[in-house]
Amino acid sequence: MMNVRITIATWMTIAAAFAAQAQNADIRIAKGTGKTGIDLSTLQAGADGPSREFFSVLQTSLLRSGWIERGTPQASDYAVVGSITSDGTSVRAALQLVQRSSRQVLLNQTYPGQGAGIRAAAHRAADDIVYAITGRKGFASSKLLMVGNRTGSKELYMADSDGRGLYPLTADKTVSMAPRWSKDGQQIYYTSFLRKFPAVYRIDLASRKRTRVSNFAGLNTGGAVSPDGRDMAVILSKDGNPDLYLMRLADGSLTRITSTPRAVEASPGWSPDGRQLVYVSDQTGTPNLFVVSRSGGQPRQITTRGRQNVSPDWGPHGDIVFSSLIGGKFQICVVNPQTMEIRQITSDHADHEDPSWAPNGRHIACAITKQYKSKVYLIDTMGDAPILLTDYEGDWYSPKWSP
Amino acid sequence: MMRKVIWLVALVAVVASSGMVGCKRKPKAGAGAGGYDEFGGALGPMDGTAGYGSAMNPDDLQAVASQFAPVYFDYDSSQVAASERSKLDAVAEFLRGNPSTGLVVEGHCDERGSNEYNLALGERRAQAVRAYIIGLGIQAERIKTVSYGEEQPAAFGHDESSWGQNRRATFSLY
Repeated sequence: MMNVRITIATWMTIAAAFAAQAQNADIRIAKGTGKTGIDLSTLQAGADGPSREFFSVLQTSLLRSGWIERGTPQASDYAVVGSITSDGTSVRAALQLVQRSSRQVLLNQTYPGQGAGIRAAAHRAADDIVYAITGRKGFASSKLLMVGNRTGSKELYMADSDGRGLYPLTADKTVSMAPRWSKDGQQIYYTSFLRKFPAVYRIDLASRKRTRVSNFAGLNTGGAVSPDGRDMAVILSKDGNPDLYLMRLADGSLTRITSTPRAVEASPGWSPDGRQLVYVSDQTGTPNLFVVSRSGGQPRQITTRGRQNVSPDWGPHGDIVFSSLIGGKFQICVVNPQTMEIRQITSDHADHEDPSWAPNGRHIACAITKQYKSKVYLIDTMGDAPILLTDYEGDWYSPKWSP
Repeated sequence: MMRKVIWLVALVAVVASSGMVGCKRKPKAGAGAGGYDEFGGALGPMDGTAGYGSAMNPDDLQAVASQFAPVYFDYDSSQVAASERSKLDAVAEFLRGNPSTGLVVEGHCDERGSNEYNLALGERRAQAVRAYIIGLGIQAERIKTVSYGEEQPAAFGHDESSWGQNRRATFSLY
């Protein structure tokens, strides 16, 4: 746990928090749900808008982490102590996380924020608290890429992990699709019809510069960069029907990975260690997932059931999430690529497409189509209810979570 | 010169493998197992390196291209069905009469399924049509392909009648 320096005033607040718990010696952690109760009643938030917003975003983010639930003062082993104050525009949240049973202060941090930075500060605070309690990485501070058509054409957007803070990355009035992040989160690769033919483009977020990185005759899509940043997996049709290639980004040189004259390949993605690739191929007659070594060789088929198995995303804990056509609807499934054991995550009567792992390896974002309208949802693979992330006009597709 | 010889050899190989030998004129598309047409890298470049480009007015080109009937496909299939082949005779005939004009075959899918997979499937459909037209004697380097996947539907319903209209190849000229 963290070593923190604590002021006398802080100690007094903390002592009060301990006292609240001392009345009930029976400390219960909500084990049944796998969630830890946390007491937020000891956090004093100003009545002004910015302070209330910080508190609200903090509480929502803690609950969405999946590991936390709001507990009563008596039953909670953890309490967030401190104050959220505001001068009307900016916020200063001075927070301490205390564990009552051990009488330890696990976190003592000040989170300043102004404007859109208020929500960013609350996201950071939530991630720090989740990490201090569970040792697990939160996802509140991460970003989502999405495709939206609310302007009448499919454009690329970036949003906060809760779907808010929507920011358009393209305004091209063409089709932008298949977004991917670089491992460092600084570059975005995607496919666009900007010059009539599909090509892979890179957006550098810091400089806002856009570069066309793959523009061979025919199809250029995929654009998945290896974790070491060296190679880009890309689907090309320049030598016949679509196959999987690796492009060395430094010099554009190509290595062909698949040679399937009758089948198409699609949707490449990398294993977390960068040694393997997962992709879709219909060489068995219908699309299925395959895994192949980065250096090529014999691919291994890892899905066999169902009419279509598509849109794989290899998560940080080693499992691959994908979309499987089951009973006429696309459902989210998770497969262990070693054992090929498959777990079905969703089952309601809607199409669930383009799943993407959150950085915590527990949650996913995906597009759910109901009544021909597509929206992006947060799905918990451990059973929390789905949450709508794109409460906006238009259809929303292809979420991709930042690393 | 060497290049031309290679194309000729490639074309003969394709024609032979697609079962044309013994037929009158048309290659037998859709001979591949699993419902897929067979074509590979042997059909030549698609990037217009040979310098094609029509002298015709772009609007006229568009008007001509819009007269070419779309080629329709079965669900999950890239075969050029027998019923669709006469449409490609008309396209090839125009290209024969306008030797400086190039063709772009545009492959499309219905809305069902992954849009990245559909993008690849649309490309395979466009290439199946391209292979067929090459089989009718049009130079490979005049024909480019583009896939729009499910991104440019012709019909906007959510039933088989719309889907059937969207699984198609369309044409533009350059």
